[in-house]
Amino acid sequence: MMLMVQDLRVTFPLDGKTGLRAVDGVSFDLAPGASLGIVGETGAGKTTIARALLGLHPPGCVQGSIRLDGRELVGLSEEAWRAIRWRRIALVPQSVGTALDPVYRVGDQIAEPLRYHLGLSPAEAWDRSLELARRVGLEPRHLRAYPHQLSGGEKQRALLAMALSCAPDILVLDEPTSGQDMLSRARLLDLLDALCREGGMGLLVISHDLAAVARLTERVAVLYAGQLVEVGPTAEVFQDPRHPYTWGLLHAYPDMSTARDLRGIRGAPPDPANPPPGCRFHPRCTQAIDRCRREEPPLREIGGRWIACHLGGLQTLLRAEGLRKTFFVDGGEPEERVEAVREATLDIREGEVVALVGETGSGKTTLGQMLVGLLPPNGGRVVLEGRELTAAKGKERRAMMSRIQLIPQDPFDAVSPRLTVAEMVREPLDIQAIGTPEEREAKVRQALQTVGLPTSSDFLARRAHELSGGQLQRVVLARALVLEPKLIVADEPVSMLDPSEQARVINLLKEIQTERGLALLLISHDLALVRKIADRILVMHRGQIVEEGPGNRIVTRPEHEHTRVLLEAAPRLG
Amino acid sequence: MGVGRRAFVYLLTFWVILTLNFLLPRLLPGDPLAALLDPSSSDYVYDPQVRAALAAYYGLDRPLPEQYGRYLLGILTGDLGRSIRLNRPVAELVVGHLPWTLLLVGTALLFSSALALLAGTESAWRRGSWADRGLVSASILLANVPVYFAGMMLLLLFGARLRWLPLAGGRTPFARYPSALAAALDIGRHLILPALTLTLAMLGAKFLLVRNATVNVLGEDFMLVARAKGLPEGRLKWGHALRNALLPFVAHLAAHAGMAVTGAVFIETLFSYPGMGRLIFESVTARDYPVIQGAFLVVSAVVLTANFLADIINLHLDPRLREGGAVG
Ligand SMILES: Nc1ncnc2c1ncn2[C@@H]1O[C@H](COP(=O)(O)OP(=O)(O)O)[C@@H](O)[C@H]1O
Ligand code: SF4
Ligand SMILES: [Mg+2]
Repeated sequence: MMLMVQDLRVTFPLDGKTGLRAVDGVSFDLAPGASLGIVGETGAGKTTIARALLGLHPPGCVQGSIRLDGRELVGLSEEAWRAIRWRRIALVPQSVGTALDPVYRVGDQIAEPLRYHLGLSPAEAWDRSLELARRVGLEPRHLRAYPHQLSGGEKQRALLAMALSCAPDILVLDEPTSGQDMLSRARLLDLLDALCREGGMGLLVISHDLAAVARLTERVAVLYAGQLVEVGPTAEVFQDPRHPYTWGLLHAYPDMSTARDLRGIRGAPPDPANPPPGCRFHPRCTQAIDRCRREEPPLREIGGRWIACHLGGLQTLLRAEGLRKTFFVDGGEPEERVEAVREATLDIREGEVVALVGETGSGKTTLGQMLVGLLPPNGGRVVLEGRELTAAKGKERRAMMSRIQLIPQDPFDAVSPRLTVAEMVREPLDIQAIGTPEEREAKVRQALQTVGLPTSSDFLARRAHELSGGQLQRVVLARALVLEPKLIVADEPVSMLDPSEQARVINLLKEIQTERGLALLLISHDLALVRKIADRILVMHRGQIVEEGPGNRIVTRPEHEHTRVLLEAAPRLG
Repeated sequence: MGVGRRAFVYLLTFWVILTLNFLLPRLLPGDPLAALLDPSSSDYVYDPQVRAALAAYYGLDRPLPEQYGRYLLGILTGDLGRSIRLNRPVAELVVGHLPWTLLLVGTALLFSSALALLAGTESAWRRGSWADRGLVSASILLANVPVYFAGMMLLLLFGARLRWLPLAGGRTPFARYPSALAAALDIGRHLILPALTLTLAMLGAKFLLVRNATVNVLGEDFMLVARAKGLPEGRLKWGHALRNALLPFVAHLAAHAGMAVTGAVFIETLFSYPGMGRLIFESVTARDYPVIQGAFLVVSAVVLTANFLADIINLHLDPRLREGGAVG
């Protein structure tokens, strides 16, 4: 093992207070010639780790252990660090624009470490830097130029040549692609990729550019607020993220190949000077339990992946196994039966948006009603948060059903036309007998505000026929929200609305879903509409789920015949 | 801006100064030159020869454009007018005094700059340490001590009390030197106190400037990168940190060249040093207008030249100021 980082902690002194713990107990290894990515949002502590590896923090800030071929580096004197820097570990810094000294020629700055570390003469060092420049795709004129005369991409290359000058054992790249236009970014990635393939050098890529990390590294570590939350093989982690934060990060990432709109993780990263107790992700986590608020989850190996989560990672919220439903047409002749749903199996994870698409009559609504417990299946089972809904009875069943709310296709299926707006929204609370009348009133107002409706007494007293289609749909949504469900099943929630109102309600649904950390099963015949917000798409055909996959994959590379038919039927996909 | 354009700007500035120098005496209320020629004035010049020279030089009876033309022509040929007090050409007086001032200011500039650069960089390198804090406080104090007070103290201590150094003058009066070395030693001994005073007067501000500029440079990303490259401390401190801090320092030198000369006026007076400052002081006391004007002109030219030199130096120090953007 070449580089071993154990329980690395970096604390910056703050006036008066205990200090800012920018990196808090990070451990990782890097074998010779191996590559590791560290990903995370801005401020997660990525650059702080990079600097710690070169001993650039003020003395006393760094605790824990950094071992290079067994030798402890933490606590080395500045003099001892000098021998490690650049010869063993070199860095391509984050701030490309200001990383070169403005008063010296670029070539001289590339040659500088050669002269001081390898003792080359000025002429030899210059020759060597010409060679390095060629390797990174720079020309001699670039070496004679001053930094201000180079473009961002050229500077990045010059910094790379500089980092490679003493042939380090480990190369640390801090945000190698930031601030680059798409074209120079692509060229740089090709170049880095080629350099890695030459082999021998351990590579640490620190970035919030997930695509770059995916391209350059074998393993990846996900950093959140100074702590690692997930570590594993890059391809596997990106394909199948297990930690809720990794999952959210990947889904927040604007991917060139995704047509889906950007999905945020609710909330914001914590203030590093004042991190939340317990799991640092808990204020943003959709599946946090009490324990998460008290105890820090350790990084544990779970099925070949290292995950820091009390629940072992992202939870399956609802699981349906082999659901069947057969309807008998009038008279009850055996030949006259309709197999509406055949052996449907699906998972919905915490905070996930799943779309169930299929043409009219494919069994979507029937499946949705079985999932929420409104319709008993003829076979199979529904498991909600680990408990079997299909077997539950009485009070337990009612409690479980309040965790899932259905927004039916026709709003009038959900609400009675005789009720006022206030009564419609309050009804579920009344039925479940939750809270005092005042509390219910407050919840009703809050729910109406969430969906963007007025809470004036005039509006509260209106009845269904006095509302526009969009308003009524929002009232139904508010009604679904008052019980604070974990999952909303929305059956064609916008099919009755005009197109502009459709987009607005869909965006509202998405917004509420993100903010509240709900899971959402969106049932629709309109692939063009749902792909904008769906993380995953299920395609249903004749009572069966025929295809399932990430939204962008389904839209760009459909596998099932019927998915292609649906795609062609969606003109807006163009 | 290239050297050529800079030089042009400086020439233009000098021409404006020349013109002001021509216009100001003529715009002053009460016409001081007329007073010199007016027998009823208390400033009346009694020497008829001088009166004639004055009248010819200023040609006050002629039309303004013609006066201006003669004035410019005179300056080009080195004719700065005639001293009333000494009845000698002003140019001759200037030639006699200017080298002393250049020697004094040059020496003080050299020492104060070298000290400020050394101490400022070291202090910045150890920013926050006791040594740094001590030096900063001392410099603030030093920068606020009046020049003549500091000079007086030095004079009293080393000149009057300890008698190590001469009290006044630029050299021993009427001395005959057996060799050039002896001459240099004598001039050097006379130079020490005034040069030390001027050095101290300039040191505080210069030190603070270097220290703060270096602290700024030390916070730059390229310094972190230079450290990451594993370069030796000396290379970091002098090759990168000070090298970049030189840019604001040289700009400061240019901007404060005039201040150095003003400081010299006080000090030359105090130490009876035979430089331009003393010449100006004595001429002002004696209302020797032609000398005042001529000296003002020469001092302006010197300050402008210093500015120009500093500009050229900075052009060499900072590639970003040079012409031409992207390469090839
Ligand atoms: N020198 C420093 N002094 C104080 N706080 C710092 C310093 N450097 C970084 N930080 C803080 O540490 C945290 C992590 O920063 P950084 O490592 O730069 O994150 P990233 O590279 O992931 O964007 C941030 O909150 C940042 O403000
Ligand atoms: S479930 Fe708990 S431990 Fe796991 S990520 Fe969420 S808050 Fe952290
Ligand atoms: Mg960073």
